[in-house]
Amino acid sequence: MGREPFEAVMTAHHAEIYRYLRRVTFRSADAEDLSQETFLRAFRAYRGLPPDANVRAWLFAIATNLFRNSLRSAKRRRAAHDTVKGKGREDEGAEPENAARFNEARVTVEAVIDRLPVKQRAAFIMRKVHELPYEEIAKSLECSPDSARAHVFQAFRKIRISLDAAQLPSAEGSA
Amino acid sequence: MTAKHSSCRAIEPDLVATATGDAAPGAEVRVQEHVATCPPCRDEMERYRSIDRLVGEMRRAPVLGDRADMVRGDLEYRLAELRRKAVSARVWQSPLGPMLIAKSEQGVVLVEYLDSERGVAASRALRRAGIEVLADETETEAFYQQILEYLAGERTRLAWPLDFRLAGSDFQREVLQVTAALPYGAVTSYARLAREIGRPTATRAVAQALRHNPLPIVVPCHRVVGGTGALVGYAGNKLGLKERLLSLEGVPIAQVRKERQIVRDHMYVRADHDTAYCLPTCGALPTLPLWRLTLFGSRDRAESAGLGPCSDCRPDLHPISA
Repeated sequence: MGREPFEAVMTAHHAEIYRYLRRVTFRSADAEDLSQETFLRAFRAYRGLPPDANVRAWLFAIATNLFRNSLRSAKRRRAAHDTVKGKGREDEGAEPENAARFNEARVTVEAVIDRLPVKQRAAFIMRKVHELPYEEIAKSLECSPDSARAHVFQAFRKIRISLDAAQLPSAEGSA
Repeated sequence: MTAKHSSCRAIEPDLVATATGDAAPGAEVRVQEHVATCPPCRDEMERYRSIDRLVGEMRRAPVLGDRADMVRGDLEYRLAELRRKAVSARVWQSPLGPMLIAKSEQGVVLVEYLDSERGVAASRALRRAGIEVLADETETEAFYQQILEYLAGERTRLAWPLDFRLAGSDFQREVLQVTAALPYGAVTSYARLAREIGRPTATRAVAQALRHNPLPIVVPCHRVVGGTGALVGYAGNKLGLKERLLSLEGVPIAQVRKERQIVRDHMYVRADHDTAYCLPTCGALPTLPLWRLTLFGSRDRAESAGLGPCSDCRPDLHPISA
């Protein structure tokens, strides 16, 4: 009663959930399947959702769950692993005039993110790209808000370490 | 990396959080105090700030090969299909026990008496039909309210749009449709229904079709009894419910030998497709088989069904004494 129609939920959140999945998965086909499955699942449960629920965070939780389940399947894990080790992200297209160190650094950052353990990667992207509060990230990952915070910290640390190794931007270089 | 002082290691999470705009309350002050006296950590903080700017770029950058619109188009198609096929269902607590009500976009699909409180998953009918169920708290509430009113005797009609998708065959669908037209407080026999649908030898098949009635109460199969007037069967082994529903509608029932039976000689009678109702003793009525009769528990019920009093036996002047 009084809840907005599911179409409105799609309009408000579909693109964002799809893009979130594009960022955490390695293959666009996975993101497409998972985003469809997220919304089909959400549609099935939507009318049973408490009226005060945060729909956006709820969708992120469903998407994250589906994503993690998809990785648990051994076959997929192997496929994802191969992709990372091999050719990297399939959509890493040629960017013109990408000589700037800034872009190089960004590529490094993305490569590090791709290699993060699943929970760190998901927590990092939910927090830093989609700006979800830690309480909601914690629900998605079935952990405490402190653990969610620790995942993001670990992700930053790893990025910092690899940028250091690659002699990439120091404090002044990148602004 | 060079070894760090323990106080630097301890403050590192807060330092990173502060540099990336994510500090927990109180952390920022501690970090500022620390970096004021620790140049290496001040540098670290600057590096983390740079990293955060890089990440900020990521946030603003479009996803390469973004196919969100196309994916959404596919999704809408799949949702429309799901909507068409799926039903909304909920288990309600009724005076007759846990009762599942399911509806589709077309109408009510299923009313099922459940033996357990296990919720929608306990529905054998939905499971067997492989119908997808959407969790729903409110969609079937109006129907449930009407059932409550009906069971309290405050309502005699359930004018619901019906969806016969759970009918196993055209035959069953036809039987359900004829049964749905039986008026409140009327009783007829399986044999009569078989004749109504032009299959006079299909009495048993009619009984079978009603045994698997997916819409009890709304499609009032409880108003259909055996050739002797015995209640015979209801929703598997729920004969007690059948008696309860009939009693609610004013149908007299008694124990005759080993069976519960309607008390035919305490009921008003309509023969065949007569437009009048009679006393059970009128003319040749006592000798007619049940398949030629429709019986009513009261004059009100017969008249609500559109019948007038017989001009010979005058049930209006000489009602059956209780």
